[in-house]
Amino acid sequence: MQSGTTRAKRQPAWHMLASEFSEATLNEKGSGEYDPSFVITKLGAKVNRVVVAGLLERLEVRETSNGSTLYQGQMRDPSGVHYFSVGDYASESMRELTLSLVEKTEAGEPVLLLMVAKSRWYQTDEGAVYTSLRPEEACEIDAQKYALWLTRACEDTLQRMKHFTDSLSAEPTREGLVAAGVPEHMVDGLLVSRNHYGEIEIENYTLNIMQALDIAEGRMEAASQPVVAPAPSSDEDSEGAEAGGETEVKDTILSIIEQLDQGDGVDFETVLTNTVARGFDRSLAEEKLDELSNEGTLHEPRFGWFRIVA
Amino acid sequence: MSEKYETHIKSILAECPDADPEAVSAAFAKYESEFFIPPQDAMRSILRRFKGETTPSPSAGSSGNSPSSAPKTTRKVSRLSELKGDDREIEIEVEIISHNIRDQTIRGEQKQIAFGLLEDNPWEENGEKNRWEFKDWGPNSNITPGSVVRIEGASVNEYQGKMSLNINQSTRIAVIREGTRPVVAPGEPQDISSLPSDGYVCIVGRILATRPDQIHRKDGSGSIDIIRGRLADETGTIGFLSWEPLSHEVGTLLKIEGAQVRTFRDTPELNFGRTTKVEVYHDKNFADVDALSEQTVLTLSELRDGARDVDAVVQITEWAKRSFMRDGEERFLWSGQIADPTGRCRMSAWNELPITEEQLPVTVRLKGVRVRAWQGIPDITIDNSDQVEILDAPPWDSELDLKNHTVEVALDELSTGASRVGISTSAIVVSVREDSGFIQRCTECRRVLREGVCADHGPNDGNSDIRLRLAIDNGRSSVSLLTNKEATLSLLGMSESELQDAINDTGQVAFVQSLRGKMLGRKINASGRTIVDEQGAMLLADGASMIEEDAGLRATEIRAQWRVA
Repeated sequence: MQSGTTRAKRQPAWHMLASEFSEATLNEKGSGEYDPSFVITKLGAKVNRVVVAGLLERLEVRETSNGSTLYQGQMRDPSGVHYFSVGDYASESMRELTLSLVEKTEAGEPVLLLMVAKSRWYQTDEGAVYTSLRPEEACEIDAQKYALWLTRACEDTLQRMKHFTDSLSAEPTREGLVAAGVPEHMVDGLLVSRNHYGEIEIENYTLNIMQALDIAEGRMEAASQPVVAPAPSSDEDSEGAEAGGETEVKDTILSIIEQLDQGDGVDFETVLTNTVARGFDRSLAEEKLDELSNEGTLHEPRFGWFRIVA
Repeated sequence: MSEKYETHIKSILAECPDADPEAVSAAFAKYESEFFIPPQDAMRSILRRFKGETTPSPSAGSSGNSPSSAPKTTRKVSRLSELKGDDREIEIEVEIISHNIRDQTIRGEQKQIAFGLLEDNPWEENGEKNRWEFKDWGPNSNITPGSVVRIEGASVNEYQGKMSLNINQSTRIAVIREGTRPVVAPGEPQDISSLPSDGYVCIVGRILATRPDQIHRKDGSGSIDIIRGRLADETGTIGFLSWEPLSHEVGTLLKIEGAQVRTFRDTPELNFGRTTKVEVYHDKNFADVDALSEQTVLTLSELRDGARDVDAVVQITEWAKRSFMRDGEERFLWSGQIADPTGRCRMSAWNELPITEEQLPVTVRLKGVRVRAWQGIPDITIDNSDQVEILDAPPWDSELDLKNHTVEVALDELSTGASRVGISTSAIVVSVREDSGFIQRCTECRRVLREGVCADHGPNDGNSDIRLRLAIDNGRSSVSLLTNKEATLSLLGMSESELQDAINDTGQVAFVQSLRGKMLGRKINASGRTIVDEQGAMLLADGASMIEEDAGLRATEIRAQWRVA
């Protein structure tokens, strides 16, 4: 035999949109050396491995303190962004691919990427949890394959949303969830996610899915529309309505931050998706978040994290 | 400037005043038409390109359509007799008479569906009632036997003049009166099919078989009288062994508390001891012996190593006499291949069966045979020729060519079940291993050589072979897939020399990367046999093909199935 260690069963790969993965703040690591580590999403997926895809938006090399090379990148799908890194530990083929992708992004060439990646997480001293990905294998794909991936991610997310909803009315025990029809691979994750995240809003995921399906169906026009009709950009719109809308956005942003802040502030993406979910235009919300920050109502303890100035 | 992207172009120009609006517009159009990236998602990439610098930001664009929430109108009826075969979106109040859950493979995906009987006119005590079968594709967790529910948005299914009700994923179920049968909790009777592989359990089951037996102590200090037999409920059957006297006859319905499940090879068995409580149970709705006995007839896919008292109907496709020497005497063994519509396996007999090679294939009914497994593949053992009855014709479509028949099996079932022969499955390719392509196998044992060395037989020249090593996955289970030479070449659409040229041209790493471009994230169908052990399942495929899927069509189906407007 080649080695004395027993090979563990390979962990399955979840098809998942960026929003679900990036919003996860819960993790689990077994006690044994070879126990797999998991990121647990709000919908209860226990993620060790994912199949994700999107537009490669950035890929840059970072020299680390110990002299090794680390490539950091971000990949966008209709729901948000995945952060990933490729280091010296990656396979030769993955590193070769990364080099060719760096060239393409530097040349401004659009690249659609599909990757099978391991989930990673780290916790800052303040206790905030960040998730990221370590691709094992990846390849460039065309728009058709991207569309196909979108449908798989949507279908699996819808399935998880159903299990999540089913679990809400069930006893929060293993037996209770099984009796409520929650399948075995979701039970453990749903038990701990419910405990950790408390009440969550899943409407955002529905919006992400609707947009992703528009894209998969080739209805790019529909996919380009914001959720709510955008504020009219013509000069005729009344000053009063605009102002009223603006105060409302600001109030909403403040109440979201107040509600979600557990001491470290609330990250940019969470603030925005929640504001959009309450029916506001995203770019308006982005603008108002900036304003609140500039006028001193909010401060950023760290880049991209907002707190209300006490 | 294109009006379509006007606001997006303005945003870019605000940051990069020197950019050419036409070029920016062309970039948006390219992202959208060639890469399916809507303008709000392409913004940052395009901005980076025109700015020529890097400003990472954690922002994301997310938007979609507002859901159109036009409620479907349902037609309300009070009696099943009011319904026609093509009625859709109907609403009715019914009592659930029975409710069973089963796993079904739908288009290669393992799904749970529920089925049973329902009865209309639930409120009138002695009124006239009609019963229909129903299928619940949800399946909804709030449908329980004995409950009265209002079904909103079901459709009628008529098949060969028989009407039934389809409950779809979008159908709403409102429970009006809770079921009278309690939900199973620990300590209460469990279904035989869902018993754990060890531990103490409680079940209600009918005796299908019982016979006295003896166990001889190993130390020769005598023997113990025991009772062996088999119990059944609607979900399955299980063998039992009682260390205490048990005088109940075949057909008696028993409630048994504190029985211990022990698993020998892959087959669980109930053990009754001093602390086990056995009592006669009364339930006039419980299925009778005849109905329950049909369950001891197993299909080949249900065979488990160590199973006994197995009945099956199989077709013998190959049969040959073999001789071997034991204690200096020539002995004979008959063995060959058998098949049924669920798969293939081997069979061996210690006595000659009245079957000649010219008659093959021959369909036989097997009674009370036992199962052993070799390399995970079940092998039925026949100890007496009277366990075999030759049938005139198979009970399934006689046109079916079982010798070359493959059965579509869901990935979950393959990864957790017994090893199987003659199966195929579909799943997503999630890994193309670096050692895919040409390999050298040991000339002695066919094991793959590592740097010209076999782990068992040392350095040797090896024989060249071709294979792909993949991992396939459905989000719940992962199976290792090895395609043989023939399957690999047909999958790649290449001859052996073309493959050799492709690898020589680009090198092994680039070759594997090109395979990933073709296969990663795509659905593959593979057929062959599986070997399952503690480390997972391995599918050895002699056939494989990529499955073409239409994303637009899938998206539309998903919208319909999940009611995403």
